[in-house]
Amino acid sequence: MENWRKNPVVFWLLGIPPSLWLILFFLIPLGIVWFISFGEKRGIVDIAITGTLDNYARALQPLYLQIFWKSIWMAGAATVICLIVGYPVAFAIAFAPERWKIWLMLAVILPFWINILIRTYALIAVFRTRGFANFTLEWLWEKGDWLLAAVGLGEYHLLGERFSPLTMLYNNFAVSMGIVYAFLPFMILPLYANIEKLDRSYMEASLDLGAGHWRTFVSVVFPLTWHGALSGIIIVFIPALGAFFIPELLGGTDSQLIGNVIERQFKAANDWPFGGALSFLLMYATFGALALRAALVGRGKVLEA
Amino acid sequence: MPIGPLEYCRRWWLQLIVGLTFVLLYAPIVTLVAFSFNNSRRNIVWRGFTFDYYVKAWHNQSLFDAFVNSLTIAIVNTAVSTILGVMAALLLWRFRFPGKAAFEGFSALPIVIPEICMGVAMMAFFARIGWPTGLPWPLNLSNITIAHIAFSFPFVAVIVRGRLIGFNRELEDASKDLGAGEWQTLRYIVLPYLRPGIVAGALIAFTLSLDDFVITFFTSGPDTITLPVKIFSMVRFSVTPEVNAASTVLIVITVIATVAATRMQAPARRGSPGGG
Amino acid sequence: MTQRRRTGYTRRTFLAGTGAVAAGLSFHPKLTWAAEEPKLSFYNWDTYIGETTLDDFKDATGIEATMDLFADNDELFAKLKEGNPGYDVIVPTNDFVERMIGAEMLLPLDHSKIPNFKNVGKAFRDAAFDPGRQHSMPYMWGTIGIGYRKSKVNGTPDSWKALLDSDEYSGRIALLGDAQAVIGSTLKYLGHSFNSTNPDEIAKAEALLIKQKPHIKVFADDNGQDLLLSGEVDLTMEWNGDILQVIDEDDDLSFVVPKEGGELWQDCLAIPNGAPHPDNAHKFINFILDAEVGAAVADFIQYATPNEAAKKLMPPEYVNNPAIFPSDEVIARCEPPLYRGETAIQLYDAAWTRIQAA
Repeated sequence: MENWRKNPVVFWLLGIPPSLWLILFFLIPLGIVWFISFGEKRGIVDIAITGTLDNYARALQPLYLQIFWKSIWMAGAATVICLIVGYPVAFAIAFAPERWKIWLMLAVILPFWINILIRTYALIAVFRTRGFANFTLEWLWEKGDWLLAAVGLGEYHLLGERFSPLTMLYNNFAVSMGIVYAFLPFMILPLYANIEKLDRSYMEASLDLGAGHWRTFVSVVFPLTWHGALSGIIIVFIPALGAFFIPELLGGTDSQLIGNVIERQFKAANDWPFGGALSFLLMYATFGALALRAALVGRGKVLEA
Repeated sequence: MPIGPLEYCRRWWLQLIVGLTFVLLYAPIVTLVAFSFNNSRRNIVWRGFTFDYYVKAWHNQSLFDAFVNSLTIAIVNTAVSTILGVMAALLLWRFRFPGKAAFEGFSALPIVIPEICMGVAMMAFFARIGWPTGLPWPLNLSNITIAHIAFSFPFVAVIVRGRLIGFNRELEDASKDLGAGEWQTLRYIVLPYLRPGIVAGALIAFTLSLDDFVITFFTSGPDTITLPVKIFSMVRFSVTPEVNAASTVLIVITVIATVAATRMQAPARRGSPGGG
Repeated sequence: MTQRRRTGYTRRTFLAGTGAVAAGLSFHPKLTWAAEEPKLSFYNWDTYIGETTLDDFKDATGIEATMDLFADNDELFAKLKEGNPGYDVIVPTNDFVERMIGAEMLLPLDHSKIPNFKNVGKAFRDAAFDPGRQHSMPYMWGTIGIGYRKSKVNGTPDSWKALLDSDEYSGRIALLGDAQAVIGSTLKYLGHSFNSTNPDEIAKAEALLIKQKPHIKVFADDNGQDLLLSGEVDLTMEWNGDILQVIDEDDDLSFVVPKEGGELWQDCLAIPNGAPHPDNAHKFINFILDAEVGAAVADFIQYATPNEAAKKLMPPEYVNNPAIFPSDEVIARCEPPLYRGETAIQLYDAAWTRIQAA
């Protein structure tokens, strides 16, 4: 890494466009909301910036902290599932024969070019009580039952008296699955980019020296590719925290996440100062997570080129 | 032929896992496409096969306009975000400068921020600075596009940076020693190495833009309806097969476009430096 | 060589430059001197207009109308709060009309430009939320009640009790996702006013809902009727028109307004401040209030029309349908949602957050 003074032309050339965009079209609008979060409502649409901390005090009440915690928990669980599912798929794409790579990548990305709303409704069609997942399970149950009867174990009703469909929708399970379904490619792509550039000879050496595949993965592959995993985790966990849409469509009565509360403040409750305070608290918390990541990466500097 | 130690794709357990994942990934999509032929307005129960809703979707001018808008925004967004994202990634990877940590932090903010907060912020911003409304197409999509770029390019930057971490700087030094200038080094050494990262980043930018609802909703106005916003309001009454039909068409177009792009790209893919 | 470059900015190029700028400026819509161009921007709920109404409007007046969509009143309000992004006619519900009038977001209507106002039924000529109809015209009205599946329910669930206070149908109930509708209906069930701002009464409603929560399957924002149709739930709190649309597809379904009463809403046409074509907007509202146009709209969307002249043109199955036009005594039991001020809204929202989090 060189000091910027060594090459000021390149530095400014690379630096100005993104910085300008960031400041003008992101930081300034955000600043406006930040100011609003220190304000009070005066009448229906006016907001007076009074420098009050009331909104933040309100946001730190146990009611809201509990919701925060639930959101973190839910988003975290979904992220872990994404990681577990994403690694094999990213692996498969990275180690696939050249010709297949782009097709596999396409196959992963394609569902996500379809509008998320429609996909979620399609998810509903699959997972609801009279949906296809339950139809399939019911079919399997009937076959299993018939098999048991054929073997002579019919009267024990080992599989239950009657098929009871699984409730896979309108609960927290559905919300987690919805998040996984929505954010999976954001995990797979960075993982793939990282696994792809892994030097294969490390793996071959490890296998030659007698380690099994799993051991090779744990001791060789993972330490070398965890940067990709970290990128993926960040890209999945953080938006998942603020999601309001998926709990709204797929969740039950128990699935209110912080995103839903914030959304209501800006719309139904028309309480922009409070909504601003809640969003900023959310951001500070996740900012802390990012700082943690920077610290982790800093400590692992030996892995940087 | 016996399976080589690294030929993971030929091992049954990986094939099983990946296969299962793809089945679960595509089951809702297949349902979606199948139900686009459903002869029922509410699309809950199957009532018979028909092409009617494709015809309806074709004649639905507002749906079509929304689709064109979404596509335009997504394309512009992908182009600009990729460029800005690569620039930001290169900047952070290459240079030390005062305030670097702050810059890194700020450029990560669009990823951290709840979408609705950003949507509201953009809306307030454009209203307060008096951004002109009622411009002719495609300029009236400008404020949506700007908002999209603002939240997309940090994603691209993160992905490209992930790729850059493994880049061997000695290649860059060697190139300079051999007399190449900055631009040439960039073009012939760094960028080809980055290509998987850039492609991944561009794909994400495109997806984010096409899918985005919250931020687009707050920054859009009359004549600038995009597909997600249109669908969200249509869905208030039910997802009619019309919407499924439109989505199916979108999928087909996307597949064709990507296949074409891949075919055009294939010959150049041999011999990319830096491992692949 | 450099000298010639500096003198490249001749007078000619300067004039050409200003000419180009002037030509460009003349295309800017805000600078045209002519009368309003024949365009209209209509911001409406989805499919809440007749099939050919907009085209008919163009044929009748030559004004081209485009329709944009919003999903609920809160969205509409949030969009317009910071300034009108260019809409001419909007369709808020009555309590939002009240709120927007209070926030001075609506343009006063010029009744002389809306002669078809004479078609409006007597009951709708005036309104508590908009005295003298200065800012809005009635569009459609209706109720919120219980949609249910006849074969799965004992008798007729003519009370909110089945949804709000009993475990008879545990896990087969859906409520709306709107704080005001649900809390308001609960207040009605408890014998209070739909619009109560009494914190004790709201607390009682909140406690009841929290107690009932384990039996409720989902708070369905817009798709309660779909859940009913697909068999996911057997009872749902929904708008009458939505249930009517699914009754069409499955006649095992039915609709009833509970005996304690429910919400009686009215959607209105209004012109937001800063509308670019207020004159065209008036023409449009007048067009909608025409008898035949009103009848076509009502026929397509199957909600109750406040337009007496249009109602006369409708077939008997529409006029006599109790789900569309409830009897007077049902109407007497229902209450319109009123806007009670921002603090009331915050009170409801806080209660709703607690209910959801419990």
